Amino acid sequence: MWLLPILGLIIGAVIGSAITFQVPLIYVKYMSIAVLASLDSVFGGIRAILEDHFDGTVLLTGFFTNTLLAALLAYLGDRLGVDLYYAAVFAFGVRLFHNLATIRHALLLRYRQKKYQEPR
Amino acid sequence: MSRRWLLSITIVCVISGLFLAFQLKVQANNNNTNPLSQKNTNLVMIIKDLETEIKTQEDQIEKIRNELSNLQNQLTRGSLQELQEQLKAARIAAGLTPVAGRGLIITIDDNKEGLKTNPQDDPNKYIVHFEYILNLVSELKIGGAEAISINGQRLVSTSEIRCVGNVILVNTTRIAPPFEIRVIGSPKLLAEITTSGELDILKSLNYPVSLQESEEVIIPAYKGDLQFNYSQTVKED
Repeated sequence: MWLLPILGLIIGAVIGSAITFQVPLIYVKYMSIAVLASLDSVFGGIRAILEDHFDGTVLLTGFFTNTLLAALLAYLGDRLGVDLYYAAVFAFGVRLFHNLATIRHALLLRYRQKKYQEPR
Repeated sequence: MSRRWLLSITIVCVISGLFLAFQLKVQANNNNTNPLSQKNTNLVMIIKDLETEIKTQEDQIEKIRNELSNLQNQLTRGSLQELQEQLKAARIAAGLTPVAGRGLIITIDDNKEGLKTNPQDDPNKYIVHFEYILNLVSELKIGGAEAISINGQRLVSTSEIRCVGNVILVNTTRIAPPFEIRVIGSPKLLAEITTSGELDILKSLNYPVSLQESEEVIIPAYKGDLQFNYSQTVKED
């Protein structure tokens, strides 16, 4: 069950490295923000599954709008001379770690519940 | 558990993987092509290898030139004698022989004391720039210098004095401070023209400068090659 998303990640990486297309150097900065936003979405999705309030539409829309908006805001910030780039890195970074912590808690809780129920 | 979530998270994962691969690719290429990257030891190694190769080849050129002049010196009979004298003068003018004579030894160094006392200041104000050396050499030439060397590099007609990043190139060899400029010529005239010119400017900028007169300044020969592929002598009628 968990295999499919991991397989998807690997397939995506393989396709990405196989394609000769390369992001132009001036856009690398915005691409890195998009990567961070997409990772945040992935961990957010896993967290939602573990907490049993997962919604596919929310995940997909959140994923696309977050990545696009993050890159666009960073770009706009550069045009305006405001380093919104760092704000995005900070926001997504904090959320990423928070999501990871929640995932760990949820997994631990499940493991303990299982262990507790087994002897009966 | 329903299967609905599986599809959406897989889609998100595929795109994330794609992004990650793109980003990793760019970062990997970045390190390879950026000449200022500290990780780029490859280029540094290539440059060092080439420099040692140049050194050995220069030594070989010098050896062959010495052999040639020895052979030429053996042929000193009759009308050849006059030609030999001309050749000798031409070789001195071209900088292909080590020369010695009266002259000056000028040393210039970075203003390290000044930088130490004002660490916040722009370091460009305290390092010796290539223009200083270029100006000094021009003044020495005006003062009738017969031979000049900078840190052991003999200046010839093809020599450059050029800034590349934080080092100076002379005869395509990197040189670093302190700079020792040796010059053969009238010590009095050379001292006068430089102390009323570039050396005075450098002193007023607080660079450690020293000027020493010497009865025997030794200047090494030019070690590089001198090939003329395009120039041809014009026939005189």
